[in-house]
Amino acid sequence: MTTTIGRDTPGQRSGGQGARVVPKGERPRRKLNVAGGLGHVFLAVWALMIIVPLAWVFLASFKNTTEIFSSPWTVPDHLRWENWGRAWNKAHVGRYVLNSVLVVTLATAGTMLLSSMAAYVLARYKFFGNRIIYFLFVAGIAFPPFLAVVPLFFQVKQLGLLNTYTGLIIVYIAYSLPFTIFFLTSFFRSLPNSVAEAATIDGASHTRLFFSVMLPMAKPGLISLTIFNLIGQWGQFLLPLVLMAGAQNKWVLTQGIQEISTSAGYEADWSGLFAALTISILPMIVMYMVFQRQIQAGLTAGAVK
Amino acid sequence: MSVTPESPSQPNALSRRTVLQRAAVAGLVATPAVGFLAACADSGSDEESPGTANTGAVSATNPLGAPEDQPISVVIFNGGYGDKYATDVHEPMYKKAHPKSEVKHQSSQAISTLVQPLIAGGNAPEFVNNSGEKSLDFGALVADGQLQDLTALFDAPSVDDPSKKVKDTLVPGTVDTGSFNGKPYVLYYVSTVFGIWYSGKLFTDNGWAPAKTWSEFTALCDKIKAKGIAPYAYAGANAAYYQWNIILTSAAKIGGADILKNIDNLEDGAWKVDAVKQAAEAWAEIGAKYNLQGAEGLKHTDVQLKQNQYQLAMYPSGDWIENEQKKDTPEGFKYQMLTTPSITGSDKLKSTALRATAGEGYMVLAKSKNPKGGMEYMRQMLSKAGGKGFTEVVKAPTVVLGSTEGLTFTPGTQSSQDALKAAGSEVFNLFFDGWYKDLDKEARTATNELMFGRIKADAFVERIQKKADEIKKDSSITKFKR
Amino acid sequence: MRHGRLPFILGFLVAPVTLYSYFVLWPYVQTINLSFYQWRGFTKKRWVGLENYDRMLHADRFWQALEHHAVILVFLPLATIAFALFFAFLLNVGGKGRGGKTAGVWGSSFYRVVFFLPQVLAVPVIGVLFATVYRPNESGLINGVLLKAGLEKPIGFLIEKNLALPALIAVLVWQAVGFYVVLFSAGMANIPAEIYEAAELDGASKVSLFFRVTLPLLWDTIQTAWVYLGILAFDAFAIVSVLAQDNGGPDGSTTVLGLEIYNNMQQSRYGDAATYGVALCVLSLVFAAFTLRLTRRESYEY
Repeated sequence: MTTTIGRDTPGQRSGGQGARVVPKGERPRRKLNVAGGLGHVFLAVWALMIIVPLAWVFLASFKNTTEIFSSPWTVPDHLRWENWGRAWNKAHVGRYVLNSVLVVTLATAGTMLLSSMAAYVLARYKFFGNRIIYFLFVAGIAFPPFLAVVPLFFQVKQLGLLNTYTGLIIVYIAYSLPFTIFFLTSFFRSLPNSVAEAATIDGASHTRLFFSVMLPMAKPGLISLTIFNLIGQWGQFLLPLVLMAGAQNKWVLTQGIQEISTSAGYEADWSGLFAALTISILPMIVMYMVFQRQIQAGLTAGAVK
Repeated sequence: MSVTPESPSQPNALSRRTVLQRAAVAGLVATPAVGFLAACADSGSDEESPGTANTGAVSATNPLGAPEDQPISVVIFNGGYGDKYATDVHEPMYKKAHPKSEVKHQSSQAISTLVQPLIAGGNAPEFVNNSGEKSLDFGALVADGQLQDLTALFDAPSVDDPSKKVKDTLVPGTVDTGSFNGKPYVLYYVSTVFGIWYSGKLFTDNGWAPAKTWSEFTALCDKIKAKGIAPYAYAGANAAYYQWNIILTSAAKIGGADILKNIDNLEDGAWKVDAVKQAAEAWAEIGAKYNLQGAEGLKHTDVQLKQNQYQLAMYPSGDWIENEQKKDTPEGFKYQMLTTPSITGSDKLKSTALRATAGEGYMVLAKSKNPKGGMEYMRQMLSKAGGKGFTEVVKAPTVVLGSTEGLTFTPGTQSSQDALKAAGSEVFNLFFDGWYKDLDKEARTATNELMFGRIKADAFVERIQKKADEIKKDSSITKFKR
Repeated sequence: MRHGRLPFILGFLVAPVTLYSYFVLWPYVQTINLSFYQWRGFTKKRWVGLENYDRMLHADRFWQALEHHAVILVFLPLATIAFALFFAFLLNVGGKGRGGKTAGVWGSSFYRVVFFLPQVLAVPVIGVLFATVYRPNESGLINGVLLKAGLEKPIGFLIEKNLALPALIAVLVWQAVGFYVVLFSAGMANIPAEIYEAAELDGASKVSLFFRVTLPLLWDTIQTAWVYLGILAFDAFAIVSVLAQDNGGPDGSTTVLGLEIYNNMQQSRYGDAATYGVALCVLSLVFAAFTLRLTRRESYEY
């Protein structure tokens, strides 16, 4: 059933399908829909408010400093790919991208595994302390992470994990747990009991029930939270700044951006900065475009009912 | 308190270090963690310092007795000066003198981010250029015993002339500038001059002359304005202290340099004296009449670029500006510096008086493995060749006497050096911003309020005085005196 | 099924709980502890009891920050949820209904992607971006247009005291709406089509569809959104610090607790920073508890 979520579920009416559902040749226009027309205007305006600034960053990555600080609506007089080259080579954006990919992939995988285990137990088993543990996790969403940074540094140091990928990955996981567990718990709660009961009657162990029945059922939720964690960890810059400071060859992209934007102030290399920004934004945009339907489906917890 | 031009004043000044540090895209990227990391040194501080006993044979070429076969780690702030002067000049010099000692070079734009974890992790580097927006707090480092006492360095024979001690080859006052409670801990290496900057080309082309008196200054502003160019502006978004610096410079000229000393010492009513009020009033009028459009919302880089594009005539800054803007400065722009014009006819100091200091702090970490090696590196830096090489690369003069002989300065540096000479003994400095950041903050905010017409001079001095009084009463804040 | 239940529970919880306690909870506990000390980072900590708290409660900036949190707390969720609901409704059921089916407007998958984009931008990017958008001269994205259109004086979005905070809230809304569009879309997709169809057959307009069907059935989701946005309101630090003038300026008119924490850290006043941090935590938790209580209401079974 998990693969069909996007298609046949009655509740599923995301726009992508909505457009397709219109059978060709039918002329459904009962009446001119004023709300739809006006709605279009609002949607278009909002879309422009997002596209225009981003397009500007993209264009700025081809400009020189003078063009950047003159009228915003000019186009660069030619495409200065050297800005991108500078960002990629001199500022090591290429290496930072790879580091980010490594760290974020592993950290998200770990986050999803541990969170789904905890969330599952918290959602579907009654035991003493359940609510307390759940509350402690959820409370973590509300805390500003940079408060904990100094003690955290020592916790990591104590384990000898400063300036290591392992240390950073583990900390990413720890700080992603609250959000992920919060969402997954409600997701697991919404899963039907009937399937679980049937499996239990078949003699499945708790562990098997989890891995071979519940986890697949939760796939839509897992996918969307995976994406959110990828996005969140990709954009994380506080933790690596603290924990990876001493190993520049292991820096992640946000640290790189930070370094570049600092140096833009000293060396006035604004175009290089915008090129780096574009490089950092693009993978996220592409990923979101590819997976956006799954995200939608994943948040539709009820779709699996 | 007038100090000779050659005697740059003390640490924590609004030196090039602090200026760059705040100028550095202040606020573009928020990194609270980095500041907080200063706290991370705590646990490491109890450890025995490994380096003090680490000695090598004393010789003519190694008067400090640095162990010849052990490496040193050098950390350079990769800011306005870059790190080329270290990799191309100082490090090769050190290597040449001590071939068996490896130099490990690192550079960063966020010194505390890099160095703090190293200290906390027990791997303190020997030599650190502690500068920039994310620099470490010198005072706190000293208090914690993290810094090497540099007395031995300054008393050692100099590289060029073994009969002279290092301290005698430097601009007088250099040692004191970096001293805390009488002991030298920090080497401030670069000479810095503050003033109002303009394009020589723009002025010559239009037949404008730099102003000496206030009426000349306003007349000049009128002429510039008539040309459709903004006469005067500073960057309100992140560099309001460039402007309070100018206001206080004017105040010092009106009422004498003791005005600034009283402010630094948190004397009662130090801000409310007539001189400060008069200066604020005069500059508020400039702000009201001659400002660049939107300057309050612009960052220093934006405003400086406007000046390079000839849309702004005059801009308050230190003499690093020429180096900072070199990429965007058009051909023939010719940076020139003007000292703040005399506001009244009865100013105590001449219009040539100015504020100058030494900036860019370097330190040796006492708990590194080879602190003597770090001091030896400094000794090499303080040779004539070291100073000259630095100036050649970054176009800024150092505290090494005679190291600029035979060098031609860029127009801007030449102009600020001439101004320094012309000022004679009327050179002063101020320190409160480095000592009491809250007071600096309040002064910045009040300056924006004043210069963009929301409050008058009376309210300006009133609110800063109130803050100064609060700080004075607050027992949790360490006080400094001069 | 009872067999092996406890070991299973323990086995599944041990890793996440350990990690979380060691790397998250314990550092926070130490922060609370720190709020009773005076500490400048290098030298030894000095116990000062409640002195830090006393100083905080007497600081103008603290109360200013609280006021701003209150403003953000009202307007950020209101605006974000309103926009997001509106857009989600259009994207899902705003289109022309035909054949007894309701559908989203044309191009809704395109909008869905675009609206979400701000969410993937890291804070430094937002800072650079909106500095340009709001720049108060001809090179600003907004002012550039307005000045060309004949406006005499640029609008000082971040300079005017009463514009600065709204301008920052606008950025937060701009960034947040996309996520909630997706969230609400998901919720709306969850509402059985029959309900809409029945209502439509009854001749209900889109507007009444929205208020009589969508809104009540989405109540749970909206509540979640409110909690999240409330937390965001307490955490507005990042945006303020990258965009506001002069560290929470002009003249403190955009400061928030996070920024005061940051300012204290910058001055190596770690005890004070921790104290503001404790205040922030307490407020966040009070808010979350309060909201959950207030909005608790029977969810609709369907």
